[in-house]
Amino acid sequence: MGKATVIPFGPQHPVLPEPLHLDLVVEDETVVDCMPQIGFVHRGLEKLVETRDYNQFIYIAERICGICAMGHSLGYAETVEELMGVEVPKRAEYLRVIWHELSRIHSHLLWLGLAADAFGFESMFMHCWRLRERILDIFEKTTGGRVILSVVKVGGVARDIDAGQMSEILATLEGIKSDYGALMRTLLTDSSIKNRTVGVGAIGYDDAVALSMVGPFARASAVNYDVRSFGRGAYGDLADFQPILDNQGDCYARVKVRCLEVLQSIDIIAELAAKMPAGDIAVPVKGSPADGAQASNVLEQPRGECYYYARGNGTKHLDRMRMRTPTSQNLAGMATALKGCDLADVNMIILTIDPCISCTER
Amino acid sequence: MGFRQDFEPLALSELHGFAESRRAEGWRYVQTLAVLTEEGVDLVYSFMKDGHLANSVVSIGRDAVVPSISDLFLAAFVFENEIHDLFGVTVEGIAIDFEGSFYQLANEAPMTILSPEQAAAREKARKVAAAKAAKAAKEAGGASDAPAAEGGLEAKLAAMDPEKAAKVRAAMEAKAKKEAAAKDAELEERLKAMDPEKAAKVRAAMEAKAKRAVSAEEGGE
Repeated sequence: MGKATVIPFGPQHPVLPEPLHLDLVVEDETVVDCMPQIGFVHRGLEKLVETRDYNQFIYIAERICGICAMGHSLGYAETVEELMGVEVPKRAEYLRVIWHELSRIHSHLLWLGLAADAFGFESMFMHCWRLRERILDIFEKTTGGRVILSVVKVGGVARDIDAGQMSEILATLEGIKSDYGALMRTLLTDSSIKNRTVGVGAIGYDDAVALSMVGPFARASAVNYDVRSFGRGAYGDLADFQPILDNQGDCYARVKVRCLEVLQSIDIIAELAAKMPAGDIAVPVKGSPADGAQASNVLEQPRGECYYYARGNGTKHLDRMRMRTPTSQNLAGMATALKGCDLADVNMIILTIDPCISCTER
Repeated sequence: MGFRQDFEPLALSELHGFAESRRAEGWRYVQTLAVLTEEGVDLVYSFMKDGHLANSVVSIGRDAVVPSISDLFLAAFVFENEIHDLFGVTVEGIAIDFEGSFYQLANEAPMTILSPEQAAAREKARKVAAAKAAKAAKEAGGASDAPAAEGGLEAKLAAMDPEKAAKVRAAMEAKAKKEAAAKDAELEERLKAMDPEKAAKVRAAMEAKAKRAVSAEEGGE
């Protein structure tokens, strides 16, 4: 065994455009310990809730993260609705889930591209992002925005998707499905990809449970936990929803779970589009949350379970709004997964966890 | 699988034992957060099992020392460092303790700083709520205090010698006039100190208001 050396990794590193710093303690080429450090981009967004009313804050909530923008506005709106006892029309629930699942597809495709780039498969990166672009086109057509959609509001949604647009979306997704099938076959069967991912950064079921991991990171270690399976909102109307699981817990399993989740999301959208009820897309919301009223909420973001909390003070401003993002929950898991790995695998392991540091720090 | 959530209070002394029993029962640790309150800070610990999101609220004072639960749930180290940096809560025995350098912040405990506007808005909301409650109580109670007091004065005057009563009335009127005059003088002084253009505007607005009041009275009659 060689002498222990500390190698600093990040906050600016070519493999990860996220401000995450790691102190990697290495002996020879093996990482023996790891200390994660964040805190470079804390923007104090939760504090802003004190100076914006609860309708305005939704636009700040969706700026927490560029990839989970739709998810954050949805999670925030659901929490405030819970706080004020607002019942959202069924059609709005369906539309919200359709946009949310589209953003899951776009997030996973973006991630698959970044992962391919990390193990040096640049053409795969281009192909994944080419498909993602078509999802962003759907967003642009239906909401006017490509990243920040501003389509969810407290009490419902701001825009409707008519039957013509819906059939266009379904046709686009059907087109993506065949292209994506070819990409997925390569991702899951190519030997050079398997060499980089199989058996790397494995976390067993027991560790995953003890570390309270969430999202595809946990599901790749056979933890059967997906907030969508609680059947809230439009998810309750799905004929059958089973979380996608794998029991290997390594980088390959995490790639596989995300790959299959894209197809699952396409199926969810197709099913909900067929069942779409008619009616209003929003209800008017009046008044303010009561003094001392509090509500919590969980939502399955592309990266995993996200927790929201709100407390009212009798005014239009909330006393506190809190988002606990999936990445902050997975930091402990990440530090554990890195222990014992090769130095060259560090980037692969971090990427397959799909950390989002700006979400985490808010 | 359904979903339900609840909030329950928890004593600070029971926190670690409670977390231990949750771990033994197979609950998943969800998060810890802090909320600033009048008396100190509320800490909310969340656990999840079979679709039941259970939030336990621990209310603590400003100088309380909170035991870390990161020895039971390693994932808690992120949130315990966060509540220390943002709310100034002292947490003892964090598994990975950054000792105040978790976030790079310009202010110490920024989430405990209330802007003057924010404090004023809260004060106003409290007053409005108190006024509403008082009004509701008044409506529920029937007879109110203020008219009763006035009625009492009238009754007293009626019981008095008529000459004396007239004097008292005259004195009260004179006092009211004097007060009004003093108010006018004060206003005049303030207007003089103002920018002349603004003062003119204020005067016009006041006149309009007076006119409106008169016309309202006439309309009422």
